[in-house]
Amino acid sequence: MKPKIHIAGILLAVFYWVFIIPGQALATQGHGGIEGVYVHQFAHLFFIISMGSLIYWLREGGLVRGRGWKYIQYSAFFFVLWNLDTMMVHMLDDQFNIIQVESIGTLQIRINDVFNNDGLKIIYYFAKLDHLLCVPAIFFLYIGLKHLLKESGDDVTRQGPS
Amino acid sequence: MILSYIPIFFIDIFGSIFMIIFSFLCLLFAHELRIRDRNNVMNTYLLWVCYGLTGFAISRSVGHILKQILLMSEQPVLWSMIRPYSGAINSLMFVLVGSVTLFFERIWKVYQQISKDKKALQLAHEELIFLNQNLEQRVTERTEELALSEHKYRRIFEVSKDMILVTKKDGLIVDLNPAGRNILGYQDADSSLNGRRFQEFFTNQEHWNQILRTIEAQGSISNLEADLKHRDGTAIRSLISGSLDRGPLDEHDTIHFLVKDIGQKRLMEKQMAQAEKLASIGQLSAGIAHEINNPLGIILGYSQLLLRNEDNEEERQNDLRTIVKHARNCKLIVEDLLNFAREPEPKKSFIEIHGVIDEVLNFMQQHSDLDATQIISEFDHRLPPIELDEKQIKQVFINLIMNAQHAVGNNGTIKVTTKFNFTDNKLLINVIDTGYGIEKKNLSRIFDPFFTTKPTGKGTGLGLSVSYGIVKNHGGDILVESEPGKGSTFTVVLPVESASV
Repeated sequence: MKPKIHIAGILLAVFYWVFIIPGQALATQGHGGIEGVYVHQFAHLFFIISMGSLIYWLREGGLVRGRGWKYIQYSAFFFVLWNLDTMMVHMLDDQFNIIQVESIGTLQIRINDVFNNDGLKIIYYFAKLDHLLCVPAIFFLYIGLKHLLKESGDDVTRQGPS
Repeated sequence: MILSYIPIFFIDIFGSIFMIIFSFLCLLFAHELRIRDRNNVMNTYLLWVCYGLTGFAISRSVGHILKQILLMSEQPVLWSMIRPYSGAINSLMFVLVGSVTLFFERIWKVYQQISKDKKALQLAHEELIFLNQNLEQRVTERTEELALSEHKYRRIFEVSKDMILVTKKDGLIVDLNPAGRNILGYQDADSSLNGRRFQEFFTNQEHWNQILRTIEAQGSISNLEADLKHRDGTAIRSLISGSLDRGPLDEHDTIHFLVKDIGQKRLMEKQMAQAEKLASIGQLSAGIAHEINNPLGIILGYSQLLLRNEDNEEERQNDLRTIVKHARNCKLIVEDLLNFAREPEPKKSFIEIHGVIDEVLNFMQQHSDLDATQIISEFDHRLPPIELDEKQIKQVFINLIMNAQHAVGNNGTIKVTTKFNFTDNKLLINVIDTGYGIEKKNLSRIFDPFFTTKPTGKGTGLGLSVSYGIVKNHGGDILVESEPGKGSTFTVVLPVESASV
């Protein structure tokens, strides 16, 4: 038992030193500020590419002839749209600080932009409603899986109990 | 620009709730799919996608709900502490779902291949089970089919009237059917054929070499005429066909021969040719005899007239008598020719053939020099009276016995035998002598008119021709077997009418 206790103690000490008493990291490169936004944007881009390739291979492999995979294809398409939408929002507010939003009392916001362009403000406002894209995306995934499950059940019924 | 925050707020709150609910439902379905078919890699893929999206939905949606609540409760500092965690987890989940998805194509292809292989394996497995279950029955069926086939071809081999022979390429006899043994003069159980080679049975080795050369070049040989040696040394005229059966190795090569004994056929062809020749000669002789007969009659008539009117002047009388004598001889020859050729209708009556033969023998003994010749007669007394032209048949026997007497000379034996063959209702009368026999080259000519080996003046060469014509007119045949130096056997074959039997 003693060695295990020692190892746990060492790990706890390392965790405490790294996360609880952070000091100036002199030997390593810093990752603060805008870098996290870029990583997040790249993650969105990666997601778009993966969903695009999924659509391509579903169509290439002829899987979309079945209803289940057809709905999963729609889901991927809405995820692509949602990613584009959110990338744009991140670009406008976090990445380039083009748009600034401030709350001005109950349930009202003021949107300012560096170009003082109302059209851009309206686009940003509607782009913020990104759930209108990601909820259909996950809903289509849900329907697609439901159909696949049903088809799988039909197959099992046709084959009979093994 | 000042805008209402309400749409953003409500869509954010309810959207987040929906995201969490549907992501969990998706996870549930994907999990169910995975349970139903654990071997399906597509289900594994979907499950991992759902794990990623659920993680994403939780981190993002909970983050958004907290954001709205914290901003509404004017605690932006707290939100700014939570926000990086939410964003980082979101990024992580995107990468997870994206990574899994990018492998989708490879996973899909692997899955397709696995499915294909699985189906093929299943089919093979089912076939194996089917074969295994039906193996015994199939083996029984095949065995029966093989036995039937073997029996069928064995029967062909056994009952064939032609020789069927299998040899190695060096001629070593591997198998020979009963007909083949019979043709070569061996008994079925005779083991003396073991280790023998086919070429040993050829009278002319060049024929065997020719067969080998042709088979080597063309793979087969058709209808080669060759003489094979019978066990007793006689030649068997044969028609040989053969083909090479190639085995997996050179030493397994065999040659399959089909050998036809065409000796009988050739003999029949010779007899046919002989009969045709005699018929032609007969027609020619009849024409000539008819033309000569009339002038001869005139010569004989006028000679006799002159002889009658002649006074007793001896010299002229003798001359005329000589003319008459030779004219009569000529007339007899012409009559014989006409007998041979005209085929006069026999005047048949039921007679005892043995009585006729005895009569001829007595006549011959009285009128010929047969005292020093031993005459033996052996008759088959089961023979019924048969319908024949007695006069003509007597002439046949006289001719045959006279020829035999000439052949044996002063010291020899003439044997006359009869035999009745019940199976085909035929009477066989043999006239056997121990004389000098007939040379092979003359055998085919002995029935030709005017052919004789006797010295000039001793025979006209018409005896056998006339006999041949008479026997043929009775529906019979004359056969001859002879060996120079040992004697001859003439066999008169006569049909016996069923009424008399």
